[in-house]
Amino acid sequence: MRHTAAVYRHEMIAHVRSALEYPTEFWIMVAVGALSQALQFAFITVLFGNITAVAGWSYHEVLILVGFLSLSTALAGLFWDGIWGLGSMVLNGGMDYFITRPAPVILQVASHHLDLHSIGGATLGIAMAAYGWVGAGLGLAQIPVGLILLACAVVIQSALQTTLCAINFWIKGHMPVFAWVAQDLQNDTMRFPLTMYPTLVRQIATWALPFAFASFIPVQILTGRASPWWAIGILAAVVVNVVVAGLVCRAGLRSYDSAGS
Amino acid sequence: MTYPLAAERALAVISLKGQMAHKFNWLIGVILGGSSLLVGMALWRHLLDDGSMAGYDWEAMRAYIVISFVTITLAYGGAHGQVAERILDGMVAIDLTRPVDFQRARAAEYIGSMIASLPTAAIGSVGAWLLFTPPAPASALAGALTAVSILLLFPLSFEVVYLSVLACFWTHRYGTIMFARESLVAFFSGVTIPLALMPSWLQALAWCLPFPHFTTTPSSIYLGRVDTLGALGLIAAEAAWVIGLWVAARVLWRHAVKQVTIHGG
Repeated sequence: MRHTAAVYRHEMIAHVRSALEYPTEFWIMVAVGALSQALQFAFITVLFGNITAVAGWSYHEVLILVGFLSLSTALAGLFWDGIWGLGSMVLNGGMDYFITRPAPVILQVASHHLDLHSIGGATLGIAMAAYGWVGAGLGLAQIPVGLILLACAVVIQSALQTTLCAINFWIKGHMPVFAWVAQDLQNDTMRFPLTMYPTLVRQIATWALPFAFASFIPVQILTGRASPWWAIGILAAVVVNVVVAGLVCRAGLRSYDSAGS
Repeated sequence: MTYPLAAERALAVISLKGQMAHKFNWLIGVILGGSSLLVGMALWRHLLDDGSMAGYDWEAMRAYIVISFVTITLAYGGAHGQVAERILDGMVAIDLTRPVDFQRARAAEYIGSMIASLPTAAIGSVGAWLLFTPPAPASALAGALTAVSILLLFPLSFEVVYLSVLACFWTHRYGTIMFARESLVAFFSGVTIPLALMPSWLQALAWCLPFPHFTTTPSSIYLGRVDTLGALGLIAAEAAWVIGLWVAARVLWRHAVKQVTIHGG
C-alpha cells in the first residue's frame, strides 16, 4: 500500500514539474478552466436575476450544488485524469508497459496524466461553493462534513469514470465514449436540483448512474434538506462503485491481448 | 476543362464522407444533444409554468430550445481537430506546398464535415418536434429568413473555429483552445440562457461578438421577436461577420504562418 502511494505521488509530482516547464501554457490552461466555471457562475446568476427559486432551491443553495459538482469533477480530473486515456492504451498496446511494472496497473494509467484545466475549475468551484455557503447561512461547523462528502463524491466520480472507460477493453476505440457521454449527462443534469426532473430521470440519475450521490444528495445533507442518515447511502455508493470498477478492470485486464505486431 | 472551385468541392466531399464513415458519432451526437435538449425543456417547463420571462413563454421557449439544438449541433459538428493537429505536429508545412488556397481548402473541408451532422440535427429535431410540438414560425417569410440565417452559420462557424485553431501556431495544446471556444459560444450565443434574460450590459457585450448569430438570431427571426426589417438587419449583421472574420483570418494567417520552421531537406 505504501509502495503504491509512493508510485502515485512520484507520478503526480513529475507531472506538476513537467507542466511548470511551460509556465505560459500552464496559466492559459488554468485560466481557461476558470473561464468555463466563471461562465457557469454567470449563468446561475443571470438565471436567478429573473427568478427566486428552482424547485424550491434558492440562489445560494444552487450555487453550493454547482460549486460542489464543479469541485468534485475538477478534483477527479486532477487526481485521476489519466483514466480517460485507457482506450488508446488498449488500442495501441501502451498497456503492456504498465502491466510489466510493479505497481497496480489502473493506478498507473490514472496517474499518467494531469488535467490542468481542473486547477482553474476547482478554484472557481470553491469560490461558488463558498459564496453559496455563506449566503445560505451554513456555518463553519459543517465544513468537515462537507469535506468528507466531497472526498466521497470524488471517489464515486473517479470509480464511475474508471468503470465506463474500462468498457474500452472490449469495445475498442481511442475515445472513451461511454465515460464521455456520462460526464456530459452529469454536467447537464446535475447542476439543477434533481427534484426538478420527471421521476424516470431522478431514478436513473440516482440508481442506474450514481450521479445523485456525487453532488445532489451531499448538498441536500449539507443544507438540511435530507437526513444525515443519507450519508450511509453515500458511503455505500462509494463501496459499490469502487468494487464494480475493480471487478470490471480486473476482467478487462484478463481479456487484454496486447496490440501485437 | 477545369471547373471553378473543383478542388474545394472535392475536399468538401472527402471530408463529408470521412465524417459519415463514423456512424457511431451520429448516435453520440443525438444522445449528447438530445440530453441537453431534454434538460433545457425540463428546466424551462419548470421555470415558466404558465408565465413568461423576457417575452418567452413555454410555447416560445420550446421552439427556442429546438432551434438552439439544431444550430449548436451544426456548429459543433464540423471536423476541427485535424487542422489543429497538422499545425501542432508541423504537417502544415506540407499543406503550404499544395496548389490550393489553405483557408478555402479548410473551409471546404469544415463545411463538408458540418453537412455530415445534418442527420443528427434532423433526427433530434424530429424527435423533439414529436415530443414537444413547438410552434410554427411566426410567418412563412420568418421561416425562410430563419433558414437563411442558419445557412450563414456554415461559414460563420468555420471562421470562428478556424481563427481559434490558428492559435495553435503559438500554443502546444488544442484542447485548451477548443474548451475556451465552446464555453464562450455556449454562453454568448444564448444556448445556455437566452440573451434577453441577461442584464443590458452583458447583452451589449454579447452583441459585440459573432456568437449571438449562432442561436439568438435564428430563434428571434423564427419566433417573430423582430419584424421583417429587424430580421433583415440581423442577417446583414451576420453576413458582415462572415465577411469580416474571413478577412481577419487571412490577416492572422499571414502572421501565424511565419511561426512555421522547416528543418532538414
